Amino acid sequence: MFETVNIAKGVKVHVHETTQFKTINFSLKFKDKLTKEKASARTILANVLQHSNEVYPSHTALRMVLDDLYGTSLYIDSSKRGNEHIVTLNVETVNDEYLSEEGVLEKVMNLMYIVLFKPNFEHGLFKESIFKREQEAIKHRIESIFDDKTRYAQQRLMELALPDHPASIQPNGTIEEVANVTNEKLVEEYEEMIKNNEIEIYAVGDIKAELIAEHFKEFFHFGDREQAIKAPSTELTKPEQERVVEFEDMKQGKLHMAFYSPITFRDEKFPVMQLLNGVFGGYAHSKLFVNIREKESMAYYVSSSYASQFGLMFVLAGIDAKLEEKAVKLVLEQLEEVKKGNITDVELGQTKALLTNQLREALDNARGQIDIYDQYMELTEAFEPDYLISRWNSITKEDIAAAANELSLEMTYFLSGKEDDSVE
Amino acid sequence: MNKVEFKQLDETLYHEKLDNGLEVYILPKKGFSKTFATFTTKYGSIDNNFVPFGEKEAIKVPDGIAHFLEHKMFEKEDGDVFQQFSKQGASANAFTSFTRTAYLFSATDKIDENVETLLNFVQSPYFTESTVEKEKGIIAQEITMYDDQPDWRLYFGVIENMYKNHPVKIDIAGTVESIQDITAEHLYTCYNTFYHPSNMVLFIVGAVEPESMISFIKENQDGKTFEEPQDIERVYPEEPAEVAIKERTLEMSVQKPKVFIGVKPELLNLSGEDMMKHELSAQLAYELLFGRTSDFYHNAYENGWIDESYSFDYSLENGFGYALIGSDTSVPEKLIQEINDTLDRAIEKWPFGQADLDRVRRKKIGFFLRALNSPEYIANQFTRYAFNNMNLFDVVPALEKIEVPDLQETFASVSQESQRSSFTIVPPKKGEQ
Repeated sequence: MFETVNIAKGVKVHVHETTQFKTINFSLKFKDKLTKEKASARTILANVLQHSNEVYPSHTALRMVLDDLYGTSLYIDSSKRGNEHIVTLNVETVNDEYLSEEGVLEKVMNLMYIVLFKPNFEHGLFKESIFKREQEAIKHRIESIFDDKTRYAQQRLMELALPDHPASIQPNGTIEEVANVTNEKLVEEYEEMIKNNEIEIYAVGDIKAELIAEHFKEFFHFGDREQAIKAPSTELTKPEQERVVEFEDMKQGKLHMAFYSPITFRDEKFPVMQLLNGVFGGYAHSKLFVNIREKESMAYYVSSSYASQFGLMFVLAGIDAKLEEKAVKLVLEQLEEVKKGNITDVELGQTKALLTNQLREALDNARGQIDIYDQYMELTEAFEPDYLISRWNSITKEDIAAAANELSLEMTYFLSGKEDDSVE
Repeated sequence: MNKVEFKQLDETLYHEKLDNGLEVYILPKKGFSKTFATFTTKYGSIDNNFVPFGEKEAIKVPDGIAHFLEHKMFEKEDGDVFQQFSKQGASANAFTSFTRTAYLFSATDKIDENVETLLNFVQSPYFTESTVEKEKGIIAQEITMYDDQPDWRLYFGVIENMYKNHPVKIDIAGTVESIQDITAEHLYTCYNTFYHPSNMVLFIVGAVEPESMISFIKENQDGKTFEEPQDIERVYPEEPAEVAIKERTLEMSVQKPKVFIGVKPELLNLSGEDMMKHELSAQLAYELLFGRTSDFYHNAYENGWIDESYSFDYSLENGFGYALIGSDTSVPEKLIQEINDTLDRAIEKWPFGQADLDRVRRKKIGFFLRALNSPEYIANQFTRYAFNNMNLFDVVPALEKIEVPDLQETFASVSQESQRSSFTIVPPKKGEQ
């Protein structure tokens, strides 16, 4: 799918030449070690860099030039995967062919250069007012997770189960660490990102791989850098408490359960876990949906998900607060069925078919192509859908049952409305 | 089958209206592995007062029934339709909006079988008192989930403020109380009235061969019998031009207050070309006044009155519409004041010229071309446009025709003081927590 060119040590350009899309997509991924401090600083940095720069010194000026380039979208976000923190510059622009104007692509590539290499400096620091403003914006972004009670409950579960573990570190960092970042520290973090981070550059669209790689090599001057050593995943430690209940002013109860599995992304048996998750709770044909939603009418959503980087499986359900105990019992009963291998051929076939569909479908989207390729690069050099599909197809019920028997329920977190008679 | 080529966009659309009245559209997408199909009825939460099929007198049905019906379509005598789609490797879903109920799937394999499943399950209702009762618990949890979402409450709060009588003010899913009144008979009445093929659109986009697909669909439809189509008579109450409630505040468990200002449009009965021109002109005008390059945005962001949650939007349907502007903010009153002042100043003296229009128009053309990469966008938006007698693929030519006075004139009809309302969500006062 992608052709890869090394333009410097630790800097790769991956291009997928295709006429499938009306646009050209770029992603420049800067990878560093995940810590609370780094995540906090790098998230402010992402915002400061996308705000303005030396050439377009105000937010308005930068946004106007993007509008003029047919609403080219440009944003920088921060995310994480395993022990890595990733800052990504995402750009999407319309293919000239659909426009009455030429040269848009060249202008867009030049703009990407400006955004990364010509920051809005004043006396060697980021412009103070912009730095302060974006620091505030990130604080509020982190705070606002509280407003979405499903995200908040999941965050609480992780903080309680695995405090200070990469699995619970948020890609945006913490309010405390964001507040601790100084302008000087941000400049250091910026230099580090440009000079020392491992970089993956992706481009998808009706473009020529050679020309794109050549352009990045010639104009972006990325120097050699040491390839980051892939730190092995930190081991999962046992939570201090098995069950935590917290209250907020809300109507629904949010049940979040965490299971540990020894099987991670790097394990040979990783595809078995994907199937286990699908049979158990990933889909509308799964055991959790069929039994807890359809049979018991207890929930609108009830599902499982598998976080492969650390070998974590979660079950989430929105239920009446009085029914927590019953819901937990039903979830565990369904898991017991999987452990015993009580999986029909139909369930297995459905799960394989939907995993396959999901993967193929994700590849019908340029961002999907980039994300999947970037994720699997570690396991295989030239990812093709069949890499996973053929593995899924060879998996049996017994394999799934065996993987289920290695799961352990480590923590149950319940966020619920305040009880009427409670005194606080 | 008609074939229309949109050369500038490099798309070809196939269309046929079947004998039973069903409109079928097929758009092949080169290079795609998936096929996405939507089967949509022009029936949403606002259609709660109508003359049932074959009858003369209009009736009112319980709030939330269109959405309830959508849920119940998936259950059949021999089980759940999701099971069938899963067997055929398709991800299926459905949604109900104010004006539409859509059933959909996406699949990369067994497309004929999945199209057949889609057509057959939507065209074979099966409701019993016990299956209807059983669903009430599930939907009650869905409603409760939305009740806890401040952004949803904010959105609905401001719509409730704007509309005095129109059913758009009723929550799409209804309330935990209103759904208790729903019966299997109600569902059949709504089904028979609104799910006639002549009130529906089938849109298929992706890895599909149009000729063989249309014959396959025809064969399926020819094998079924339907009543003669009838015009559907919907009853909507009179709606005053001004908003019902000027401002309201709600306490919820949030970190920082949230504000939405809604502006109710004056012209609510447009369709076809006029509607497209109005909607695009209003969107461009609002983009200039409240978009990321506006003076308003610059001041509000740099002064910390808005944050990353800021958004604005303009949308028009037949009978209702709204402009919405809002953000999380620590200074809700200040923000409301600034938005009002911005609207007042633009009413007093229109500040934009040709260069401004050209810039936001380019932005919008780019957005549209980007969106055409998405089969979901194409199918959903095409259907929405079709139900309002518009064609999605006319957007670019329509945009190119818009002139500065169009923006000014349209803006004047969606901006006046009496058309504005605000809704604010605030954290509980200290001491109560």
